Amino acid sequence: MRIALVGNQNSGKTTLFNLLTGTNQKIGNWPGVTIERKLGVIRGTDFEIVDLPGVYSLSPYSIEEELSRNFLFEENVDLILNIVDSTSMERSLYLTTQLLELGIPMIIALNMSDIADKRGIHIDLKTLEERLDTTIVSISALKKTNVFNLIQYIKRGDYRKNYYHHIYDHELEDAIVLLKNSTKSQHPKFLAIKLIEEDPTFLQYHNDETKKIVDDLSKRYLRDMEQVVADERYRYIENIRDEAVTARHDQMTWTDRLDDVFLHRFFAIPIFMVIMFGIYYLAAGPVGGFTVQLVGRYMAIFSNWTRELLVDFGASSWSVSLVVDGMIAGVGAIMNFLPQLIILFLLISLLETTGYMSRIAFFLDRIFQKVGLSGKSLIPFIIGSGCSVPAIMSARTINDETEKRMTIMLTPFIPCSAKLPIITLFAGYFFKGNAGLVSASLYFFAIAIIFLSAFIMKKFWFKGKHSSFILELPDYKIPNVKFVVFDVFEKVKAFIQQAGSIILLASIAVWFLISFSWSLHYGINPELSILSSLGKVLAWIFYPMLGTSSWGAAVSAVQGLVAKEQIIASMAIIAGYSDTTSEGVLIFGSSIFGFFTPASAYAFMVFNLFSAPCFGAIGAMHKELGTTKKMWQAVLFQTGLAWILAVLVYQIGHIIEVIL
Amino acid sequence: MKIRAIRYHAGEKTKLSNLRKGQKAKVVFLNTEDKALRRRLLDMGITEGVHIKIRKIAPLGDPIDIEVRGYELCLRKFDMSMIDVEVIS
Repeated sequence: MRIALVGNQNSGKTTLFNLLTGTNQKIGNWPGVTIERKLGVIRGTDFEIVDLPGVYSLSPYSIEEELSRNFLFEENVDLILNIVDSTSMERSLYLTTQLLELGIPMIIALNMSDIADKRGIHIDLKTLEERLDTTIVSISALKKTNVFNLIQYIKRGDYRKNYYHHIYDHELEDAIVLLKNSTKSQHPKFLAIKLIEEDPTFLQYHNDETKKIVDDLSKRYLRDMEQVVADERYRYIENIRDEAVTARHDQMTWTDRLDDVFLHRFFAIPIFMVIMFGIYYLAAGPVGGFTVQLVGRYMAIFSNWTRELLVDFGASSWSVSLVVDGMIAGVGAIMNFLPQLIILFLLISLLETTGYMSRIAFFLDRIFQKVGLSGKSLIPFIIGSGCSVPAIMSARTINDETEKRMTIMLTPFIPCSAKLPIITLFAGYFFKGNAGLVSASLYFFAIAIIFLSAFIMKKFWFKGKHSSFILELPDYKIPNVKFVVFDVFEKVKAFIQQAGSIILLASIAVWFLISFSWSLHYGINPELSILSSLGKVLAWIFYPMLGTSSWGAAVSAVQGLVAKEQIIASMAIIAGYSDTTSEGVLIFGSSIFGFFTPASAYAFMVFNLFSAPCFGAIGAMHKELGTTKKMWQAVLFQTGLAWILAVLVYQIGHIIEVIL
Repeated sequence: MKIRAIRYHAGEKTKLSNLRKGQKAKVVFLNTEDKALRRRLLDMGITEGVHIKIRKIAPLGDPIDIEVRGYELCLRKFDMSMIDVEVIS
């Protein structure tokens, strides 16, 4: 049996899905967390369950909603599990009535019953069940109440087989019957209504007969049929609501009180800036910096210990070097930053689950609107401070094509967690007392550049047209500790896996290239290595932003394409080679990277921040932008802009340095 | 800059975007030209005759958070100016 889990956005589908299947899919408190369908099996059964992206109606407005409708209409679904948000019954039932028209058996899970209770919303289950002729189970997915009962209902199959009720007036209902007889479909009633609404995606199902029926109908109504259907549907729901739902009105909720502060006319934006600054300051500033040094010390001890151990075993000098100067130096340089990333992941996860993120989108929309972006672009930008790949994918919830494309192109500008090591390393060494400040400055620099590029793109590239912004403001929620911990754990795991696979392989490659010359001689001066000659080909590109020709910096920056943290791994290996100092973070003490000044350090950070993202993110851009051409445009735009900005930063910074 | 000094009173007809925080109104007509957007507004429950309350206004004056059918929805002022309403209070 195949079950589809369908409901409004942010109604708790994924929370229920996790409970039913015992998995841990990502959840959050903002509309549109789930952007792809996810498969699972209900615990203790062999029923397949599909978690679909949230929809408000079966007339899709953005891509991920279209995915849900196509799935329901085209694939064979044996049972719909419709999750209804008890706190907004009318809007939820609007979807429910459409789902009923599909003619697929259905169970309703009335979610958030605990919150509805608290708000004084009383729902008469019996009446509701009778009116909709559907089995309804009242649950709380978050508190896990009654979920077992729900599984029992599904297992035993003793749910009401919903029969269609008359929702519309007689003329419409008659037309539906006529249309049903002159079309062929698995879901005749649903199709009939779509034909009446003249839904553009169903025009192919029209034939002469159906066209005539719809024409006659609209002549009688003299109104737009789409509107007639929506009106009638809501009227029907209002009747049900009057019978089955009682609610206390107009009360100050916790959410309102918090919004008085967080959405305050004067304080909202300062509060937001303090929060974002705080996140960066904590992660990349003193606290994060301290953890980096701490881990770095142990890494150095481990590195020396391994070297001695291998030498004692009588290992050959090149194999000791491969393990210690290649693998441990590269991967170790990355692992130093793990505690700091845990701090960052934790803070972002909290931001996502509390419901504050939708508020940021709400109050920044005005500014985003000015530069041609949507307030919804903010969600990818915030997720992007973790990783660009899911961030680029989350841009799907933006329905306007231009806004979406601009958002995808600009999301990689946000310093992702892999860029954080670069920032911390440079800022910590060259701006000792102000490392936190300098790290945060890069974040705000990124935001400024995003606005500026969006503004320019809108002016010259994508000619401005009006777009809309429709967003539901969810209630604030206290973060669920278990979900937050799990979310952080997943991200940390991904980071370690990356360090143990891609970074490890790349480090071995770098070790090989720096240890050997073109004639494959081992034990040469690194200046004569393959890596050095490759770097020298590229070094001129970086000359204007570094003030010197450095093959080491050039060849490391290019490796940012593999993964941004690989830049640090590569620099650590090269530094370790050019000097005898193998002690941890002494990259800038080595002769090869000794040339860095604060100006060139900041410029190099800027270049790596804005240039083409890693292959993973480029792949995500390719997928979401749709064409290879658009992907190349994005990559060239990013890298070109990065170069210009880095050169500007260095040249201006250099003048300041000379004067001081 | 538009002047927003006028306060609309009960019974008067105006655009949804002209209301102030806390005011309630009944939707009379949707002028929205963009078909996809109008469809969306209908789906979100903004049908003729529905009651709307202005809940929260973003610090920069736009967008605006309204209460409709028991939940909160944010819309841009421009889109709200396409919705004709009759003021209730």
